[in-house]
Amino acid sequence: MTVSGLMTVPLLAALLVWILKGRLLRTILLSAAAVHTVLTGYVYFKGEESIVLRGIELGCSVREFGFGVLAITSLLFLLVSLHLCSWLKSDARAGELRGESHGMSKHTLVSLLLLFLGTMTLTALAQDFGTLWVAVEATTLASAPLINFHRSKTSLEAMWKYLLLCSLGIGMALLGTMLLSAALPEGSSLAFDAVKNADPQWFKAAFVFCFAGYGLKTGLAPFHSWLPDAHSEAPAPVSALLSGSLLNCALLGLVNIRDAAPEGLTGFCNGFFICFGIISLLFAAFFIIGQKDFKRMLAYSSVEHMGLAVLMIGFDCGVLVLLHMAFHSLTKMMLFLTAGNILLAYGTRKIEAVTGVLTRLPRNGMLWLAGMLLICGTPPSPLFFTELVLVKQAGILWGGVILLLLLIIFCAMAYVVIKMCMGSAAAAEFPEIDCRAEKLTRIPLLVLMLIIFSGAALMAETIMRYVQ
Amino acid sequence: MNDWFGIVPALFLLSCLLLATSSRMLHLIRLVALQGILLGVLPLLSEGGHWGIAAVNIIIKGIVLPVLLYMAMKRASVQRELEPLVGYSVSAVLVLLFCGAGFWVAERLPLNSAMGPLAVAAAFTVLLTGLFIVAARKKALTQVIGFLIFENGITLFGIGMMRHHELMVELGILLDVLVLVFIMGIAVCQINREFAHIDADKLQNLDDLPDGEVKK
Repeated sequence: MTVSGLMTVPLLAALLVWILKGRLLRTILLSAAAVHTVLTGYVYFKGEESIVLRGIELGCSVREFGFGVLAITSLLFLLVSLHLCSWLKSDARAGELRGESHGMSKHTLVSLLLLFLGTMTLTALAQDFGTLWVAVEATTLASAPLINFHRSKTSLEAMWKYLLLCSLGIGMALLGTMLLSAALPEGSSLAFDAVKNADPQWFKAAFVFCFAGYGLKTGLAPFHSWLPDAHSEAPAPVSALLSGSLLNCALLGLVNIRDAAPEGLTGFCNGFFICFGIISLLFAAFFIIGQKDFKRMLAYSSVEHMGLAVLMIGFDCGVLVLLHMAFHSLTKMMLFLTAGNILLAYGTRKIEAVTGVLTRLPRNGMLWLAGMLLICGTPPSPLFFTELVLVKQAGILWGGVILLLLLIIFCAMAYVVIKMCMGSAAAAEFPEIDCRAEKLTRIPLLVLMLIIFSGAALMAETIMRYVQ
Repeated sequence: MNDWFGIVPALFLLSCLLLATSSRMLHLIRLVALQGILLGVLPLLSEGGHWGIAAVNIIIKGIVLPVLLYMAMKRASVQRELEPLVGYSVSAVLVLLFCGAGFWVAERLPLNSAMGPLAVAAAFTVLLTGLFIVAARKKALTQVIGFLIFENGITLFGIGMMRHHELMVELGILLDVLVLVFIMGIAVCQINREFAHIDADKLQNLDDLPDGEVKK
């Protein structure tokens, strides 16, 4: 019941928004998001929920990875939809003042967003590899038009790259899924817990293709080239969801294929995770240095964090991966929303054209600075703890490499963010927009508090354990 | 009955050769439609094939998708791929190489299916040809066709292995592909309008390497 509710609420709401063409937009969006969150909370307290629909099982249990992804997605969507309504007004006003052409209509955006939520929910609830594939491909389809919200040349280009590359990549995962079914005895299902007795030779082939497919969608280097384009061209709330929720959904595919590995092949799989994790960190470090566009910088930081998450999987850090993903999602969402506000006020994504954010937009400047410190793992950010355990788990050699790369990324990001925040600001082009951008800081501020408090709680708990 | 199992993969191999060497969009679309219909017919040849799935396959892959592509072609008014990145004669040789690679892979896999290595070899050839067309052609529409060929290859592989997903999953995959081609068709028209051409290789405003300037 709860599970079918989780699936139908976003889809029905999307349909309703589409039919009503923008009337009651805010009410429908917020109530759908709230109901989704409440249902997710209900699943948490119940422990386990599932339904069987025409032979396909959908469901999740609190102990599983999928529930974590569902919870993050649900919370993030609620927060973003609270932010979205006022953002839409400000964005329309800014477009009007700057004389930019109209983009996608509001109700199309909102109904696609709800559809996107529905497909991500399906990904988290999927219990077999076939459904998982269908759901992950559907997330690409629902999110691609969202990237083209402003209908500019560059956003069209980003959408095209995203569609083509992700679909080809996910096609690889489909091939992997077919190979996986060939690895199993005739007539067995592809359910996650039923694939343990796969033939090792076939499983290796299946794993490689699934890794390539879901890894591309996760944005692991060197298959990441679509990610900075898509995340920087999308409007801020969409970027927040793409980076915060969608990447987790793709990572879920990687986690599931690894958990399906027959005995003796876990080492083989972990090798892939470690290798591509390090490559992702390397690419992120290389491309964050000298980055000219601040939203692209955030996108590369997402590549970095997906690399870290994959490394955590490879080094068997267990539930830590989920913790890392959750706080990366929250922090990155807050950063993308703040970046959206800065973009709104300054009208450009070029780093060199943005100076004096702290004087011109004090609240946003503060959030921007604090967010940068948190995403780089400065305590009390919970990311500090997860990265610390990862480095410890990875041993001297790999741990050293990871620390060095993290340091490079920190320096590069700090340089950019401090340069943007300090200095003197040019007079505001449109004071009204600056004022609106300052008012849009409520949700990011709330998230910032949440992150700092959870980090502080984690730290307090650790210290208490040490004291006792 | 068993003869048909040999003929259909052979037809797939032939269609790959034709796909890689023809420049006319209409021709490419017709060949993709032919592949779609063959994919629908193939499961019927084996015992206990799903009639429902076969019918949906023929309708979506053989009729609806080619019609969508045709409409996109008309609206973007593009007739042929004039300057491919890789010439047509070289493409033909490459497809033959893919074919060899396909047979090499099929020989090596421990197969236990009724259809034998021929279908798997054909599947890999189709798949590689699709990837090649995406990489070696400039027009956005040709890339969409390349993606469809790639997808056909994967489906053929699934049929060749005599493995079927659950009905719902099968339908889900088809629905995904349908929506994808629909969105891509719209995107092709938008690219045509914004850039006054649909050469995807000119889509390089977004780049991080030294000469890539951020435009905004």
